[in-house]
Amino acid sequence: MPTVKIDGVEVTVPANTNILEAAKRLGIEVPHYCYHPGLSVVGQCRMCQVEVEKMPKLAIACNTPVADGMVVATRSAKVEKARRAVLEFYLLNHPLDCPICDKGGECPLQDYTLKYGPGESRSVEEKVQRVKHKVLGPHIVFDAERCILCTRCVRFCQEIPKTGELGVFSRGDRSEINLFPRKVLDNAYSGNVIDLCPVGALTSQEYRFRSRPWDLVRHTDSVCPLCSNGCNVVLDVRHRQRGEELLRIRPRENAEVNQWWMCDEGRFTFTYLSDPARLRVPAWREGDRPAERGYDDLLLRLARSIRRVLETHGAEAVGCIASSRLTNEELFLIRRFFREILGTPHLDFRVRPVQFQASDASEDGFLRRTDKTANSRGARDLGVLPGPGGLDVAGMLAAASAGRLKALFVFEEDLVQGFPDQPVRESLGRLDLLVASSMFPTETTALAHVVLPALGFAEKEGSFTNFQGRIQRIHRALTPHVASRSLPEVLRDVAVDLGRDVGGIDPEQVWAAIGDAPGPYRGTAWKDVGPEGLLPEQSREPRAESRDA
Amino acid sequence: MAFEKILTRYQDIPNYTGTMDAYIARGGYQALPQALRELQPADLIEVVKRSGLRGRGGAGFPCGVKWGFIPKDSAKAKYLVCNCDESEPGTFKDRMLIEEDPHQLIEGIVISSFAIGCHLAFIYCRGEFVDGARVLERALQEAYGRDFLGKNILGSGFDLDVYVHRGAGAYICGEETGLLESLEGKRGQPRMKPPFPAISGLYRSPTVVNNVETLCNIPHIVRRGAEWYASIGPPKSSGSRLFSVSGHVERPGNYELPMSITLRELIFEHAGGMANGRRLKAVIPGGSSAPVLTEQHLDVAMDFESLAAAGSMGGSGGVIVMDDTVCMVRVGEIVSRFYHHESCGQCTQCREGTAWLHKVLRRIEHGQGRKEDLDLLLDMCDNMKGKTICVLSDAAAMPIESYLKYFREEFELHVRERACPFEGKGAF
Repeated sequence: MPTVKIDGVEVTVPANTNILEAAKRLGIEVPHYCYHPGLSVVGQCRMCQVEVEKMPKLAIACNTPVADGMVVATRSAKVEKARRAVLEFYLLNHPLDCPICDKGGECPLQDYTLKYGPGESRSVEEKVQRVKHKVLGPHIVFDAERCILCTRCVRFCQEIPKTGELGVFSRGDRSEINLFPRKVLDNAYSGNVIDLCPVGALTSQEYRFRSRPWDLVRHTDSVCPLCSNGCNVVLDVRHRQRGEELLRIRPRENAEVNQWWMCDEGRFTFTYLSDPARLRVPAWREGDRPAERGYDDLLLRLARSIRRVLETHGAEAVGCIASSRLTNEELFLIRRFFREILGTPHLDFRVRPVQFQASDASEDGFLRRTDKTANSRGARDLGVLPGPGGLDVAGMLAAASAGRLKALFVFEEDLVQGFPDQPVRESLGRLDLLVASSMFPTETTALAHVVLPALGFAEKEGSFTNFQGRIQRIHRALTPHVASRSLPEVLRDVAVDLGRDVGGIDPEQVWAAIGDAPGPYRGTAWKDVGPEGLLPEQSREPRAESRDA
Repeated sequence: MAFEKILTRYQDIPNYTGTMDAYIARGGYQALPQALRELQPADLIEVVKRSGLRGRGGAGFPCGVKWGFIPKDSAKAKYLVCNCDESEPGTFKDRMLIEEDPHQLIEGIVISSFAIGCHLAFIYCRGEFVDGARVLERALQEAYGRDFLGKNILGSGFDLDVYVHRGAGAYICGEETGLLESLEGKRGQPRMKPPFPAISGLYRSPTVVNNVETLCNIPHIVRRGAEWYASIGPPKSSGSRLFSVSGHVERPGNYELPMSITLRELIFEHAGGMANGRRLKAVIPGGSSAPVLTEQHLDVAMDFESLAAAGSMGGSGGVIVMDDTVCMVRVGEIVSRFYHHESCGQCTQCREGTAWLHKVLRRIEHGQGRKEDLDLLLDMCDNMKGKTICVLSDAAAMPIESYLKYFREEFELHVRERACPFEGKGAF
């Protein structure tokens, strides 16, 4: 491993590391535009030039591998002049209207100009006029005048989704990024070009001019809940004074899961969280229509109903179908409540064929997977499955039709929609007690005696386990509606009303219990689930389900 | 010893047509069987190294050394690409060589391919050379017909196919890696080096890119020996060179001469002196990228070293002669317009700098210059040089610097008088 001295500090890095990455390890910023660790190196922006001892010319840090004994200066007079020059050249034709640019405040061109650039323009020539707000695809809008031709977007489309919609057209200062004829920038990963764009040239229809970066005060680490890959994300939330709202989801780097990328579905699917149609308060159906009730009264009545079923028909008459959209902590509490406290073996999460073991597969050879729930792996690992003599989902529906099952709890699944070919409505109609939790009214909640509002992934703390078996934490970015209780709170309160105890319900407390319980997570600790997740020893093999398989 | 023309000897043959028969009649295709039968590829590379032949495209890199970089043990196909994208303003020698004696080039290509172990060669022909490409195509057909190309050439067991590929009109495709990108069907823009083409060139395989004139020398070196070739001209710039003389001279044209020739001899003896008896003001000795020289440099020899020592370069051998009616600001405007138009646009300094240079020079020429523009131009040139993937940026900056170095008062006059003092008087 070569040792290189950068700005007087030595660092030892693996062979073939470039100067830019080696400097990054020392916390030394080498400004750059075209370089991105996930894309091919083109060395075009010329912003990362550094001085290397014994080299006659400045070297580009992105394409110069370190060599043992190399001495690099990133802030010499020669380097500073070259940087100033590159920025001056960029700004010749770049609009100087940062206050009205969507990127203003989080723009590397703006930032580097302040740090390294010339304070004043020496140009008196007219700027090249270019096309504005050209729609490139369903999500992406292009302002050519802001483009600095780093070609990251072009390379991304060629190299990552391999769809190649974009190219550079014309040459010299007439060069322009554009779509190839008859192409639309509509690949499943198109949104990544926005993160890659170092200026305000590529923006999304969804976020464009909706907020200033400095109003997005909370950047909460989370995990995308829309498939079993579990792409790491950051949730950007506008501060409360402007109306707390999730406005943007960006990928968060995780070499083992999603590298730097995420798909458009995950990126742009979040407005449902602030949809006014969401269920906010619990309801108990009286006759034909549900009546809203306070939680205390409603949960007390629920506990009484459960006790009645248990006393009359026994635990065998109770079933639970819990969605694999729920967190590990919620699922663990559900299992404890139904299997241990109520004593029923009828528990399952597998509503869709793809949720059965080894059915989940890569959808596109890249990030997207066929299991569109976040936590099937976690549900399986935690034993949200039928116990000895227990019924699976189909079995529970059949038992309900036959009148053997009297009470059914359905957490965040719409069974009526889920089994369109089966007489689910009739089965559910025969139950004495149907409890359904959901974020939105569904055909299942319409039949339920008790309807509980559910929280979205951005409103709770906890963890999901992705298809690899990697436990990854989600964090609360949004304050839940004041009238809604979380599922762990509901389970705790009903248990109390039944004279029982589910234990601590904070995720950390729940995880302590998970770590003690038998199963793949035994011995794991909450604090070990870091920003890149935790792949427990027991989950590491086999690799048959890895993405490249 | 009187110099005897090598590449353009055919010019002394009356009614020379450049056909296969004419070429053979003048001694052509004798080097090829000699090379195939008597020499090993390694011997050929050695011969070319000893001859001291340097690339005639612009950089003057030793040809044999370049060939020697081709890995011997690589399992990949090896390619020879003839750079016939002659686009440097003021240069028109390759065009003549392919149009008037195409078989000389083809013989050179076959021998060179044999030397580097190549079985597929390309002639990348400038798009505008419509006639030249046609002549080459016809000549290739003739060569196939006579067993100089194709399978088992002259019974030697050596196979070679050669294709002509026409460019689409971009100066940058004359830069060897820009050429390779274009030949691969991509956008013609230079690649980062290293890796150099000898290691990773066409289709990421070992590739030699040689200029037309360079390759035309090969049959002569094989036939007459490295020592003979090395004895011509100065030691480090051996052999003859074609100088394309244009501008205000009595007899513009291509002149094949040893590189020991001085500018004065070239202009006043060979090109017939200044047109209309006017006074020489400036000479660009190696294509439009080369820094300008003046009267004081007339006794500089035209070899690579001497021209570099004089602050210019041998470049492509395009000698542009200008008399005292020429406005150097206007020259700067025209030259910078060319590089503005031809920059591929990938590197920031070149994309933006070539345009800015042109705009400022245009402003000065049209009477809108400011005092500070002259130092601005120099600083811009400094910021453009030596900082980009290829040397187009340098090629745009170097001439402007030199015009300001030798003719600064002319630029100042434009600014002071808010007009071009040559307007209406000059030849440009």
